[in-house]
Amino acid sequence: MRVQNERTVVDGLRLAVRAMVYAVVGGAALLAIATVVSVLGPMLALDLYTPAVAAWWTVFTAVAVQGVPFLLLGTVVSAAIGAFVPERVFTKVLPRNQALAVPIAGAAGVVLPGCECASVPVASSLMRRGVAPAAALAFLLSAPAINPVVLVATSIAFPGQPKMVLGRLIASLATAVVMGWLWARFGREEWLRLPKRKQAATSSPTGVKAFVAGLQHDFLHAGGFLVLGAAAAATFNIAVPRSILDIFTGSSWLSLLLLAFLAVVLCVCSEADAFVAASLSGFSPAAKLAFMVVGPMVDLKLIALQAGTFGRAFAFRFSSATWLVAVVSSTLVGWWLL
Amino acid sequence: MRRYGSAVLLLLVGGAVLRISLFSELYLRYVQAALRPYLVISGSLLILLGLVAAVRGMRQRDHEEHEDHEEHGEEEEGEEAEHDHGHSHSHSHGGPRIAWLLTLPALALLLFPPPALGSYSASREEAQRAAQGVGTFSALPAGKVLDISVAQYSSRAIYDTGHSLKGRTLRMTGFVTHGSDGTWYLTRLLVTCCAADATISKVEIRGDETDGAPQTDSWVTVTGTWIPKGKLGTDGAWPPVLKAAQVEQVKEPADPYDKR
Repeated sequence: MRVQNERTVVDGLRLAVRAMVYAVVGGAALLAIATVVSVLGPMLALDLYTPAVAAWWTVFTAVAVQGVPFLLLGTVVSAAIGAFVPERVFTKVLPRNQALAVPIAGAAGVVLPGCECASVPVASSLMRRGVAPAAALAFLLSAPAINPVVLVATSIAFPGQPKMVLGRLIASLATAVVMGWLWARFGREEWLRLPKRKQAATSSPTGVKAFVAGLQHDFLHAGGFLVLGAAAAATFNIAVPRSILDIFTGSSWLSLLLLAFLAVVLCVCSEADAFVAASLSGFSPAAKLAFMVVGPMVDLKLIALQAGTFGRAFAFRFSSATWLVAVVSSTLVGWWLL
Repeated sequence: MRRYGSAVLLLLVGGAVLRISLFSELYLRYVQAALRPYLVISGSLLILLGLVAAVRGMRQRDHEEHEDHEEHGEEEEGEEAEHDHGHSHSHSHGGPRIAWLLTLPALALLLFPPPALGSYSASREEAQRAAQGVGTFSALPAGKVLDISVAQYSSRAIYDTGHSLKGRTLRMTGFVTHGSDGTWYLTRLLVTCCAADATISKVEIRGDETDGAPQTDSWVTVTGTWIPKGKLGTDGAWPPVLKAAQVEQVKEPADPYDKR
């Protein structure tokens, strides 16, 4: 009994000492930081807070803020799939044959109303639930491009040009399906690093608890990458003047490639990109189509999100292949339709 | 931090989102108005998730102390075995490390919300007018003085074959930008989804009695009449011109951008 008491006393002492050390060290650090910030802060802030930096911060927070609701929607759907939908549902609904499953999954992209931030977590949870990666990837690409919200926005941005909407639908769906098939044929498992959620790995619990845990983890994880992408987008937004566009409007080939590249660096949300495309006067319809087909499938924000979810090896291969396929398909569709 | 990382991050992000959408109208500097309900819902949901994470963290701490005592030989009932769930992945409670990047925009929004885009962005985005083509526009509402957006004015001035602006007294609000040769413009940025897709519209202000143009980036309300310029639908018609009768300094409006 006495031995035990002594032990608790020693434990208590140790705890008190540790707390005190933390308090002293932490307090000193805090004081130091506060002093430095209050003295240097205003000086530095005045020097560094140029209009360009201010604009960078605004664009950066804007991309992050507008991504949050969509990201949350995506993680809610993906956590719900993970926690409440039994695995056999997907294996039953989707055909076993991958070549058939891919177009079906691609067309199913119609049901997720949101921009591209939402689709990455959903695709990842589909894979975890046993959906063939090829099919899940087709869904990942098509969902942000062909959902009703985006198509309506496109028709508003291009009044009196229903062919633009149709062209966007066809070219996006074609790209998604082709990429799914390419993955089914050439994709390698080892490129794809599926996130092993620690608690899901062993017994994969279901129900509300798993839903909440999945939601917290997925949102924080994807949110971090969203911020990374937002920083990249803001940097390009500030660093690349739009007047550069005028140089390229002469050649239709160059202008198509340029807009396809611009879609990657500008990271305009898929619900808004039609308006941006419409405002790029002087470009051919095919180039604008390429901008709208590439944007929801490949951009800096998405590459960051995919690298975080599926691994870097995957993100770079997949994104560059998707870019090529998207450019080719929008060229073909543009030449045929527009 | 290791135990409460997720909770802190979720509360921080949720708090930042609610601060700009529910407790102020600051969100209008970054995104369009229609996003507000979704921002409020997201913010509340994140706060809720953060609280759940905090409670779980506390419960887990109790539990760990529990276990410590067990190791020291104290008798325990172990009735909390079913709450044990969290223990096997305690290292993931701090949340993924990349998630700490979220503190950057969250703290920025909480402490010093970045300003709305202004003359700097306007000067970089030259002349991206929607290629609408000329045509007639719907009739403008009647009234002595008509409030109109800068974007609306400029598309009517450049493309309207019905000349609906003719003979009207118009009032517009925007911020001031300067041209190279002493001209000044009433400028407004137009945001569709978020500030990353801002496009510009501007109107050159002329007036005989205006002694010196207002300062760049200051907000003004201009009342005046349309001066036709150039051939409709051509580059010559841009930027449109307004003859100002009155220029009045105003406060920056809550919604700094034009709506489409």
